Amino acid sequence: MEEKLLTQHFGIENLFKIDVYLKHSGYQAVKKALKEMKPSEIMDEVKAANLRGRGGAGFPAGVKWGFVPQDIDKPKYLCVNADEGEPGTFKDRYIMSHNPHLLLEGIIIASFAVGIHKGFVYIRGEYETIALRFEQAISEANKEGFLGKNILGTGFDLNVFVHRGAGSYICGEETALLESIEGKRGNPRLKPPFPASVGLFGCPTVINNVETLSNVPQIILNGAKWFCQKGLPKDGGTRIFGVSGMVKNPGIYELPMGTNLKDIIFKHAGGMKDGKKLKAVIPGGMSAPILTADEIDIKMDFDSLMDAKSMLGSAAIIVIDEDTSILDVLKVITKFYSHESCGQCTPCRVGNSWINKIVKRIAGGKGKKEDIDNIIRLASNMLGKTLCPLGDAAAMPILSITQKFRKEIESYIGN
Amino acid sequence: MIIFIDGKKFGIESKKTILEAARENEIYIPSLCDHSRLSPFSGCRLCIVEIKGRRGYVPSCSTYVEEGMDVKTDSPRLRKMRKQILELILSEHPNACLICSEKENCDEYKSTIRKVGEVTGCVLCPNNGRCELQDVVKALKIDKVRFPSVYRNYEVKKNDPFFDRNYNLCILCGRCVRVCHDLRGSSAVSFVFRGSKAGIGTVFDQTLLEAGCQFCGACVDVCPTGALTERALKYETLPDETRKTICPFCSIGCELKMELKEGRILNSAPSEDGPVNQGQACVKGRFTIKDAVYSSQRILKPMIRKNKELEEVSWEEALDFVAKKLKKYKGKEIGLIASPQVSNEDNFLIHKFAEYVLKTENIDSVVRFSSYAVFQDLAQKNGFELNLNFKIEDISKAKTIFLLGADIVVTHPIIWLEVLRAVNNGAKLIVASSVDFFLNRFSSLWLKMKPGSEYFLLSFLSKVIIDKSKVENLAQIEGFKNLKSSLDELDLSQAIEKTDIEEENIKKAAEILIKETPSVFIFGMELTQLPWGSQNLAGLWNLSLQTQGQLVPLGLETNLRGLFELNRHCSSNTKGFKRIIQDAEEGKVKALYLASPIPYSQKAKFEFLVIQDSFMSENMKKADAVLPAASFAEIEGTFVNVEGRIQKFNKVIEPLGEAKPDWWIISQLAQKMGHNELNYNASSEISKEMIKNIPGFSGISFQKLKKGERLFIQEEKKGKKKFVPIKFFSTSIETSKEYPFLMLVDYNLDYYKNLDLSQEIKAFGIIRNSRWFKINPNDAKKTKLKDGETMEVESSKGKVKGIVKVLESVPRGTIVASFLWNEEETISVARLVSPLSNASHSLVLLPVKIKRGK
Ligand SMILES: Cc1cc2nc3c(=O)[nH]c(=O)nc-3n(C[C@H](O)[C@H](O)[C@H](O)COP(=O)(O)O)c2cc1C
Ligand code: SF4
Ligand code: SF4
Ligand code: SF4
Ligand code: SF4
Ligand code: SF4
Ligand code: FES
Repeated sequence: MEEKLLTQHFGIENLFKIDVYLKHSGYQAVKKALKEMKPSEIMDEVKAANLRGRGGAGFPAGVKWGFVPQDIDKPKYLCVNADEGEPGTFKDRYIMSHNPHLLLEGIIIASFAVGIHKGFVYIRGEYETIALRFEQAISEANKEGFLGKNILGTGFDLNVFVHRGAGSYICGEETALLESIEGKRGNPRLKPPFPASVGLFGCPTVINNVETLSNVPQIILNGAKWFCQKGLPKDGGTRIFGVSGMVKNPGIYELPMGTNLKDIIFKHAGGMKDGKKLKAVIPGGMSAPILTADEIDIKMDFDSLMDAKSMLGSAAIIVIDEDTSILDVLKVITKFYSHESCGQCTPCRVGNSWINKIVKRIAGGKGKKEDIDNIIRLASNMLGKTLCPLGDAAAMPILSITQKFRKEIESYIGN
Repeated sequence: MIIFIDGKKFGIESKKTILEAARENEIYIPSLCDHSRLSPFSGCRLCIVEIKGRRGYVPSCSTYVEEGMDVKTDSPRLRKMRKQILELILSEHPNACLICSEKENCDEYKSTIRKVGEVTGCVLCPNNGRCELQDVVKALKIDKVRFPSVYRNYEVKKNDPFFDRNYNLCILCGRCVRVCHDLRGSSAVSFVFRGSKAGIGTVFDQTLLEAGCQFCGACVDVCPTGALTERALKYETLPDETRKTICPFCSIGCELKMELKEGRILNSAPSEDGPVNQGQACVKGRFTIKDAVYSSQRILKPMIRKNKELEEVSWEEALDFVAKKLKKYKGKEIGLIASPQVSNEDNFLIHKFAEYVLKTENIDSVVRFSSYAVFQDLAQKNGFELNLNFKIEDISKAKTIFLLGADIVVTHPIIWLEVLRAVNNGAKLIVASSVDFFLNRFSSLWLKMKPGSEYFLLSFLSKVIIDKSKVENLAQIEGFKNLKSSLDELDLSQAIEKTDIEEENIKKAAEILIKETPSVFIFGMELTQLPWGSQNLAGLWNLSLQTQGQLVPLGLETNLRGLFELNRHCSSNTKGFKRIIQDAEEGKVKALYLASPIPYSQKAKFEFLVIQDSFMSENMKKADAVLPAASFAEIEGTFVNVEGRIQKFNKVIEPLGEAKPDWWIISQLAQKMGHNELNYNASSEISKEMIKNIPGFSGISFQKLKKGERLFIQEEKKGKKKFVPIKFFSTSIETSKEYPFLMLVDYNLDYYKNLDLSQEIKAFGIIRNSRWFKINPNDAKKTKLKDGETMEVESSKGKVKGIVKVLESVPRGTIVASFLWNEEETISVARLVSPLSNASHSLVLLPVKIKRGK
């Protein structure tokens, strides 16, 4: 059953305007957090809520905040990852265009909890109207005293700035995102040090996804226990699933964490379009290893998908039907990664480009017998051996597709 | 810390990467993107290793060792993976020669076929035989590449001075980007594009020159492949020998390694472990040495004037002639000019020659105009101890760096690198200048000021600091009361009016100086060259005492500091440059012995002029005898660098033509004049005598010097400190209706002896040029001057011509020109600002008018 918590008020007209938002219990969470709670209490509550990162890796937000050193004389920063570059993903856009103030509330509460006075929202370059809307929201919040100096008379200061991306996928990777905000080329950094200790401009930095932070207000209002109940004990809350591909009703579905994938496709999204047969599903954005039709009876949460050797990632569900050639899927995927690799490390830069060339060759009818093994070899050589997770993000779907659909690919290769 | 590499136990002293630890213990891990002087990049991925207890593979170049770590650097699996990675690199690289089974037999054709345009294999590549990629291919025993090779087909960039960029050979190791950005602060090159199109380039694909490259060559030195190669080596085969020596082109004294082939210099590059430069140099040391040494301007034979013409003669004849002539004059009728660009030994002998053989006090040098001299004067008059030594590494430890009177990126490139290191470590850089220097972009505060108004700024800062810091501490230093009352005269509005600096910025500067200590005050020649230069320096001196900061005086020429030490002790009562020329004008000095270029003087007429130099010059037109001196590359000796560090430089090649070491010439002359006590067989004999006789060199053993130990000029350790009261007087040099522009004159350091590098070496002249008159674009537009045109500058002293260079960094209403000692009359800026003229105007500032020249 659909459970609208985060998206509860999204149907209300002009919710993005602060006066409308305030009428629907807007900024209550901020008021509660700043006036009634200590930063450490907020942090404990979020930890207890088991709010796992919605950007892809699923790292618990409360734990991440806790890594930021408190006794340090440097400023601390919050960076909100609104780059939403993962193909198939469109949930952050949905949140930000409908309810920017909800995200702002999350930002304010997180900043208060960690002791941050400056936040940057890194918005995907193509999201022009969203960026404008968000800037509008910031200025409204400033006027109403939810941002700026001495927020709600509590003595807490916070300023939030919008930083626009320029169209590169890698800038969604957290350290590349930091480089980009610093005005540099968006190449990932070597880790360690991790951003929590050395982040933006060398200062401790928290980086969270839009959806992650947008969950914070309801945790404050309803408590950690309630939040866990709405999802799973170790993986609280709901998840905003973005379903795309060959279903009847593609779109956004907010559902409890752990909802069955089969139900999502066949109940919520209305089943397959034109009555076609399901062939495969990519369950968590393009980087997630593919699931065959036989594998979709699975709970959609971080751990269950991990057990199935795939991942929940950004919870973007891409549905592939029987008419779609798996080679076309592979072509799109490999083209994307060979284009989006930042170029810093060999296995990813050269590897992805070769894989794409080989796939194109197969698609062009000139495939060779050894091609599939070559693809597997190249992709394995990326897996776990690159500088940033993009290498893995490319290797995982490519490996799973070539392994699970080897027969079909072989059929495109003549003798 | 104990770690295990391949089962063996190693003790590790300090924090380092696995790769570094392995290298130290001579365990080979293949690597391409790592470089010992650069931060880890971990791009190539060849250096992956396994660590017991950790999943997967980690790059050893960015993984730091930890207690008990158990590392495996080699296994069949690792070897296989590395081979695969290298294959990927080679799939984008011309690889035919690398895997060719005939490559051993191919050797003889190497250099001849290299003249083709495209590099499609090692035999056609200038990097052949010195290529790290070749080494790694060999080590990993690659004999085939399982991908069809892709030739990127980029156009080779050949439009910049000194080196070509062939990105078809680039392996994207990023070393050039890191060295340029992190170490040199230029950021001329960076990564461009992404994915399979990723590469190295400049912004908007500009030339390097347009992109702000300094042509330091650091990127060329770190590039593991033939992608960046200096043009001079393009058609050369490998050197048969490498020798180290010290660069003579500025006071830093970088250690260079010179590659030689059959006794001929191929090129010069910074030596990795140079004590001062640590693997870095600048465009001069990196790219101009060979051309300077082998310049067509070299004097190769002794000459004497016969029938109005200079004629080549034998040494015997030349020395006899000079000796006979010199004997005719009384001591005080002879003047000598020593050089800041020859060795201490040479200068020592020249001084000895003057004292014992010629018996003249008329010996001098450009030391007289240096900041050292002004500083010494100030110290003597005010009774404090002069300390000139510093250690270059102290700069990078500072929290505040205050820079005045020098564009150090040009004049002292290695000091700049140290400043950059400090800034990267979070230090605050304050620059006081009228010109917008390149390094200003790294400053926390640029005090854009009226040229020449430094002491108002410095004194006002003193005053603010007295008001704000604990007076008791300062009051203990002698002279505090006098200083304080002398500063009473100065108020904020006056300081603002005189300097043109905004109030807020002056306050900010004071705040930084109080808060961010320790501080270092770096000052160049331009601070002290005004008539009130000593007041400028006094202001800085006081400020350094107040903040307990260190003063870093920047001498300019190679061995200026060494010559200063000699002057201090050999000839404390010399007449001085100006007097020698004046006496000549009045006919009192009749013979002049020039071991260095001198300032221009039209009126001075000599009966007898001897020039001892390595290069031809304007002065030769008037010379009666010309004695060819060997260049630094052909001799050995010692220099004292800007820090006060004594460094030995070595003979690299045989003297060209009949050129001889300066000391040899002097020694021979002395003997011809009957002074056998000046008979020496080697420069080292003179070193020993000098060490005994000159206090600054005392306690230095020649053995240590030879071994390359760190030796400094001896100074009083804790000199006496005392504040200097400031005198305020009307000081500005104003423009007028007639002379509406202010000309700022830089000291040009781009010369070696009599050779103007910018005129001799074309590629260098494109980067910077002694003939440039730099002008703001607005002024250029108004006066309809265009880049590259001839323009004429006229002051009350006369006219000179230069070449228009339009630059945004030049303030409006200003012309920035540079000063060389010895130029032809029509282009000699020295003529307008000569310290030898009687006018009391300054050496660095003068009102002029400008117009288009012909
Ligand atoms: C190649 C790459 C692209 C990524 N793109 C995004 C993105 O567009 N949006 C996002 O929120 N996280 C993205 N991530 C994940 C971030 O690195 C990071 O884990 C996340 O922003 C942390 O926020 P969270 O803990 O709230 O999920 C990406 C990661 C990689 C490796
Ligand atoms: S894995 Fe790819 S995106 Fe990540 S650093 Fe390496 S080349 Fe860049
Ligand atoms: S860069 Fe090295 S490997 Fe490449 S062609 Fe030149 S010498 Fe050969
Ligand atoms: S020569 Fe120096 S400044 Fe120019 S690109 Fe290379 S490293 Fe940068
Ligand atoms: S040009 Fe040379 S140093 Fe620069 S990335 Fe390419 S191979 Fe490396
Ligand atoms: S000119 Fe100076 S900085 Fe440049 S290489 Fe020579 S000694 Fe070094
Ligand atoms: S040397 Fe370590 S990755 Fe290149």
